Amino acid sequence: MSIALQLLFTGIGIGAVYALVALGFVLIYRATNVVNFAQGQFAMLGAFGMVITTEGLGLPYWLGILLTLAAMALFGALFNLGVYYPLRHRSFLPVVISTIGASILLTNGVLATYGPEPATLPGLTDLPGLNFGGLFLDSQYLAIIAITLVLVVLQYLFFERTLLGKKLQATSQDKEMASLLGIPVAGMIMLTFVYSAVLGGIAGILVAPILFVSVGLGAQIALKAFAASIIGGFGDIPGAIAGGLAIGVIETFGAFYISVPYKDAYAFVLLFAFLLLRPQGLFGEKVSQKA
Amino acid sequence: MKNPALALLGAAACVVLGLVAPLDDYLIKLLMQAATYAIAVLGLTIVLGYTGQISLAQAAFFGIGAYGVALGSTGLGLSFFAALALGTLLAGLFGVLLGGSTLKLGGHYLAMVTISFQEILTLVLTNWVGLTHGPDGVANIPRPTGLVAAPRYLALCLLVLFATAWAVGALKRRPLGLAMQAVRDNELAASVVGVNTYRVKIIAFALSALLGGLGGGLFAGAFRYISPDQFSFDDSVVLLTMALLGGVEAATGSVIGTALLVLLPEWLRFLRQFYLAVYGLAVILIMVFMPAGIWGFLAGLRPRRVAMPQPGGLVLGRAAGEGALLEVVGLAKHFGGLRAVDGVDLRVLAGEVHALIGPNGSGKTTTLNVLSGLYRPTGGSVRLAGREVAGHAPHLLAAAGLGRTFQNIRLFHSLTAFENVLIGAQAAGGAQAAERAAAALDFVGLADRAGAIAASLPYGHQRMVEIARALAGNPALLLLDEPAAGLNLTEKQALGQLLDRLRGLGVTLLLIEHDMDLVEQVADRITVLNFGKRIADGTPAEVLRHPEVVAAYLGEEAGHEFA
Amino acid sequence: MPHHHGHSRCRAALAGLPLAGLALIGSVLTSTARAQDILIGMATPLTGAAAESGRYAQWGAEMAVAEVNAAGGVLGRKLKLVIEDDQTSNPGIVAAFNRLASDPQIAVFLGSIRSTQVHAMDPDVRRVAKPVFFGGTDPLLTQAGDPWLFRARPNDSYSAKVIAAFGVETLHLQKWAIISSSDAFGSSGARLLTADLAALGIKPITQQSYPNQAADFTPVVLSVKNSGADAIGSYFTFEQDLGVFARQARQFGLRTTWVGSPSIADTAALHLAGPALWGTYGVADFNADSSPETHTFAEKYLALHHVPADNFGGWTYDSIHLAAIAIAAAKTTEPAKLRAAILAIQGYKGVEGTYDFDAQGDGLHGYNVVHNDHGKIVFVKRVDFPKP
Repeated sequence: MSIALQLLFTGIGIGAVYALVALGFVLIYRATNVVNFAQGQFAMLGAFGMVITTEGLGLPYWLGILLTLAAMALFGALFNLGVYYPLRHRSFLPVVISTIGASILLTNGVLATYGPEPATLPGLTDLPGLNFGGLFLDSQYLAIIAITLVLVVLQYLFFERTLLGKKLQATSQDKEMASLLGIPVAGMIMLTFVYSAVLGGIAGILVAPILFVSVGLGAQIALKAFAASIIGGFGDIPGAIAGGLAIGVIETFGAFYISVPYKDAYAFVLLFAFLLLRPQGLFGEKVSQKA
Repeated sequence: MKNPALALLGAAACVVLGLVAPLDDYLIKLLMQAATYAIAVLGLTIVLGYTGQISLAQAAFFGIGAYGVALGSTGLGLSFFAALALGTLLAGLFGVLLGGSTLKLGGHYLAMVTISFQEILTLVLTNWVGLTHGPDGVANIPRPTGLVAAPRYLALCLLVLFATAWAVGALKRRPLGLAMQAVRDNELAASVVGVNTYRVKIIAFALSALLGGLGGGLFAGAFRYISPDQFSFDDSVVLLTMALLGGVEAATGSVIGTALLVLLPEWLRFLRQFYLAVYGLAVILIMVFMPAGIWGFLAGLRPRRVAMPQPGGLVLGRAAGEGALLEVVGLAKHFGGLRAVDGVDLRVLAGEVHALIGPNGSGKTTTLNVLSGLYRPTGGSVRLAGREVAGHAPHLLAAAGLGRTFQNIRLFHSLTAFENVLIGAQAAGGAQAAERAAAALDFVGLADRAGAIAASLPYGHQRMVEIARALAGNPALLLLDEPAAGLNLTEKQALGQLLDRLRGLGVTLLLIEHDMDLVEQVADRITVLNFGKRIADGTPAEVLRHPEVVAAYLGEEAGHEFA
Repeated sequence: MPHHHGHSRCRAALAGLPLAGLALIGSVLTSTARAQDILIGMATPLTGAAAESGRYAQWGAEMAVAEVNAAGGVLGRKLKLVIEDDQTSNPGIVAAFNRLASDPQIAVFLGSIRSTQVHAMDPDVRRVAKPVFFGGTDPLLTQAGDPWLFRARPNDSYSAKVIAAFGVETLHLQKWAIISSSDAFGSSGARLLTADLAALGIKPITQQSYPNQAADFTPVVLSVKNSGADAIGSYFTFEQDLGVFARQARQFGLRTTWVGSPSIADTAALHLAGPALWGTYGVADFNADSSPETHTFAEKYLALHHVPADNFGGWTYDSIHLAAIAIAAAKTTEPAKLRAAILAIQGYKGVEGTYDFDAQGDGLHGYNVVHNDHGKIVFVKRVDFPKP
């Protein structure tokens, strides 16, 4: 039983990371109808930002976080201008390829300039974690779960309770209608990219103390997060969170009870099952084609 | 490359290049890699370029082919070509299974399904040691007898590449290729003009997987050692990028893109550790500045040739019988709680022009969508020429003699006017299809615009092409959804005359229209819908004086167009 | 489209590209003559997953070249390294090797420390028929009958032998858990270790393999903990995985004695895992204290590059010196004579150990056992086996 609890906790911790990255996917998807294949690299950049500011420049941890997130915001804007904006009137495929190009560029750009050595990054706290009668709760995973929760709540409040949030929602639902209503659509999309980049940065900062900082950080996570957002019903925020958690838990249990080498397959098998049996996702409604 | 002599010449050039050209080993290996990759990329030309379905698993099919050759020849003791056939067919089989189970979903879902397949295959290749030799890979893969020397094997690869490119290029203008492009440009429209879109997509997926397997099988012989890490998701992305870079809509583009991306990293070696970063940047720049790829960019500079036969007179083969051609009883279509169509009865007599009118949102278009098979009815019966057809797929209805047009025109925008109509005529088959298409295009007065790309035609002409496309399918009943919308006065008059001429051909028309002048001019009978229910039915004179009709229209449009 | 000039020219050039254009680059790529130098071709990862170790490998080789040249070169000529990126991939190293091999002046090559890459280049090595030193430790590589492959590291059959012998005979461990990557290196290591333990009468009580970049090792740690093992023998390929596993093992209170393959004692692992690896044992083909020669090399390396030396730089350093010795002894760079001269090298004290080449091309036949004493790698002993 304590093993199952332990696996559950770890699964939720990993799942929260997937969920956090999936959130970035979903936001950009809702605003632009495009899947951003460089979302994982956003996390990688965030982690490197922390290493540069805290280890390289010797700044305090909190200042490092602030500077890194500010840099990520700027990067999100640049990403929009360079990778999405010039292609905004085209079908989804060229944009997807463009983001794939961006992910190659970012990975190898960092590899070439920073170098290939993985770096370490301290966690948010020095505490090793909590021990409940054999059940070990890693402090960093606890932090990830807590921060993901807070971000989801804040995001909900932002979208539902603020004018800016509503404008963003209107933009994601119908760009033409939004622009008729006088909403600056380009600005809203810009804002979405900025926020998604910051979200990616947060995910990177949180996960780096566990997985170390390397250029490969984020790529595999992003693929799982993508699967999570599909399982959740594409574009559905609560669905993406639930999907991320489900994948984290299932692959942890699957690894223990079935096979570790096939661990990465469980997420995709789950995805297959969903697409065949429930393509509308966890909470979504089936949408019909329109003539 | 229509000329067979030219094809032979090209094939000979491949062999000569492989055997005679003074290539060092480095170049031979590079050329083998480029040639085998290019064959797989040609698969993407079919599935992505022609059919518009994304596949991020091409490296997986490539890997299945490679493992087929490797395990078939080293483990089962098959000859090289038998093993190649095994690997290729196996890849095709997986393509059919994967496509068959998921192609009803599109876009991002398909992307994710193919990624999943790719990831799972990599894991299986790595971990099913008993079958695949696991992560060690398979070494000492034999080449076919007589082709062991590298230049000879290269000649084989180039020859297969040439043949594949030629076949894929030729496919584009064949009926199947046209159907694929129709699916890509407008899947709904393709289905209502008789294309079995699901089947076409599966065929495309299977062909693509076959070519992936073929390329992979040849790759295994070229490098003689394979391991699971060579067929990963990253490699699928590379293959996809190759296709898009060169221009995914043409075979030539795929070959160019592959050659370039195999060479680009080699050319960029002087950049040392920066070259992959530059490669990524290049991908973005190409997407931004050369959206149709290099070949698409170049091909766009020259005009398109069209081989249209001399148009003859249009003959519709299904002469109208007597009585009701279409008989609809209690038709219902509900979306959740919304009753868009709520128990509608409709009787369209053979040879008549029947108008379906009603205020916006009254359920006219939904009715049409149910009749043409785009929506499954929630209830009710639909009989076409006496046969029950409710819930049949659109392409089956098209085959049964039902044609339609759309309110917002749905042409295959990247094809020529003639090709649009030709796709509608496919049921006739072969040369007859071309003749029928030419006649239909001539019937609507656009024979001289046959070679124009549909998207470039003026709005009024696009309407006419759409009608011609429906006519080419030899319909007994033609459903027209607001054909006059957006037309100017002259065009409307021409449309009225066209509808009269259509009646002369013996085709029965069911017409949704807001323009009451037009309705009064052409309609024999009118059915009026409001809130999903039929509120009136009869001759124009009867119906337009019906108090409920007047009330519905006054309430809705305050007498607009209804004086 | 805004660009109207030069279309036709551009189009003609591009249209010719796919097939005919390929032939053209041959002339562009052929290198210029450098008759005065003896060229050594090196394919190493400058990009990709193993780019980190690629840099160390390059440093080691460059140090040896500098030393040989400072001592007057070989046969009165200077050595010169020609480096190509292998992209940490199999097609990458095949391309890099063929690229190097197209230069007829290159006399000797340095291949990869990754076995799968050496497998991939093997057909081309046979064809090129010039000596290739490599560091991949899959025993099969020298057993497949390629006369041109020479291994400058001990192969995994020795690492497994040493892990088993040291663990069972010195530490008296009986209940073994084997943890290995599911890649070629890990699975072959696990296979060999199982066989060597069996030779000592022990059957492992659990065997766990994991996919590279596993992100989380909770299931593995819990399985090992549950099994009641008193020993862990491990083959980790990437240090990140080792680091994550080591930390989670500590967190879950898994304190089992651990004897790992070389990655457990290398610089990156020590840096990443920190205290989580304290107290572990490892086998290491390279250890700074294993011999005076190694010690000198390690100090020089540290002074130059400010990171401690490890096996990535060690084997390339040795390979260059071995090549220089062989060329000097053969008095020529003619491949067949060079091969004979390499196989004749016996008792050469390199930094990876003492080289006694056997007929198959394996230069080393033993490993060092090291202990992680509060983050410092302490030399325990050298275990050598007689060459077969």
